[in-house]
Amino acid sequence: MIVTPKILARLAAIVVGGVLLQLSFFSRVELFHVSPDVLPALVVALGLLGGTLTGAIAGFAVGFLVSSLLVEPLGATSLVLLGAGYLAGLFRERFDLHGSLAAPLLCMGLTLFAELGFVAVQFLLGIDAPVSALIARDIVLKSVYAFFLGWPIYLGVRRVLRPALVEEPRVRRSRRPTVLGT
Amino acid sequence: MYRKQVRRRRAVLALLIISSFALLTFTYGQSSDGLQRTVSAAFSPLQTVADRALKPARDLVNWFDETFDARGENERLTAELETAREQAVAGKAAVQENAQLRKLLRVDGTGVLALAGYKQVTGRVIARSPTVLYSSVTIDIGEDDGIRVDDPVISGDGLVGRIASVSGGSSQVTLLTDHASAVSAKVVPQGVQGLIRPELGDPEDLVLDFIDSSRKVGVGDAVVTLGQRARGLASLFPPNLPIGEVTKAPIDEQVASQQVHLRPYADIANLDFVQVLTGGSRQ
Repeated sequence: MIVTPKILARLAAIVVGGVLLQLSFFSRVELFHVSPDVLPALVVALGLLGGTLTGAIAGFAVGFLVSSLLVEPLGATSLVLLGAGYLAGLFRERFDLHGSLAAPLLCMGLTLFAELGFVAVQFLLGIDAPVSALIARDIVLKSVYAFFLGWPIYLGVRRVLRPALVEEPRVRRSRRPTVLGT
Repeated sequence: MYRKQVRRRRAVLALLIISSFALLTFTYGQSSDGLQRTVSAAFSPLQTVADRALKPARDLVNWFDETFDARGENERLTAELETAREQAVAGKAAVQENAQLRKLLRVDGTGVLALAGYKQVTGRVIARSPTVLYSSVTIDIGEDDGIRVDDPVISGDGLVGRIASVSGGSSQVTLLTDHASAVSAKVVPQGVQGLIRPELGDPEDLVLDFIDSSRKVGVGDAVVTLGQRARGLASLFPPNLPIGEVTKAPIDEQVASQQVHLRPYADIANLDFVQVLTGGSRQ
């Protein structure tokens, strides 16, 4: 990814817009009693398109912003999301992204990683409350939602960052054949 | 060239990880509150706009979810109606007791809050935490509206939580279902006292812990705030605010773990408007 000030501004807008959309919309809707969490999928999309560095920095920024806006302990969400972004970037750098299912599957897998990681970090920091088995349902359903939301998020982010993407395949336009001698 | 890139990438990653741990250390050292309040205040107008703009879309998605639930809800309500009929037939004494409980449980109908000097300020929920471990919401009223840290927060149905942090135009509410939440409460009419803690991952289940196991608590009993005041220390919550209804009270659990389960009256997962009780006799 070629990062210019304009692209940086677009990245910042994606991060801020994504966080606001999560807190004002996705966190407040429920499907089967579970709210979708699109932030890991957003970070994964940025990692897939921009590489490890972009993914990790975006993950850190998203985590920092969410924790600041909700006045939650800083650092925990950043740590987990930067890991998800870095892994997505690593996937992009090590393997070619083949097939239309690669992005949503990676969004699902890394959302699972992020949710489990977040729970693990919180438990390491100490939680003095009983835990319901329903937390497992929450994590699994969030990952499933990430699969379905991952593809539109990936496409949306790719569209916004298109000018910066060096490996973006050219759009082939159908062209009328030139007929000579008429 | 490639090696240099790899080194730079690793250095940035290490820096980010160290920064995360540093932020965690600052948070637990209570040094980050000012920074978070500044960021929160800066984004508060944007959150309000986003909340209002996205409300129709939110309502649409929630409508689908509620439709799925409607069938089960119908059966549950039918069963509840049947139980209520039986109770009504049971006699005037039960009806009278019921009326007394209702009177006790009315949030402000009894004037309890007014007597204690509380002022109710209504706010709109503009953001919600995406994780189940942190159960908190952001509301669009803050210091400018007279809101202070630790003010109790209620909905039309009962206690919701307390103010955790305040900035000029917005506040963060720690809900009853947050892992850091603990509210002293009592079961009425028995008067059994305990501490309400969340069951993480299930917003419809709270635990009333440390109860006196020699006194029996039954399913359907109401739980209200204790609002105790002793030796100059006062509870954060006024007394007799409705919290929830006992849903599970097996004798063995009461004896062995000294706890019962309850469902909060307030629909904590779907809050739109809340009221903050400001002022009051709490010191």
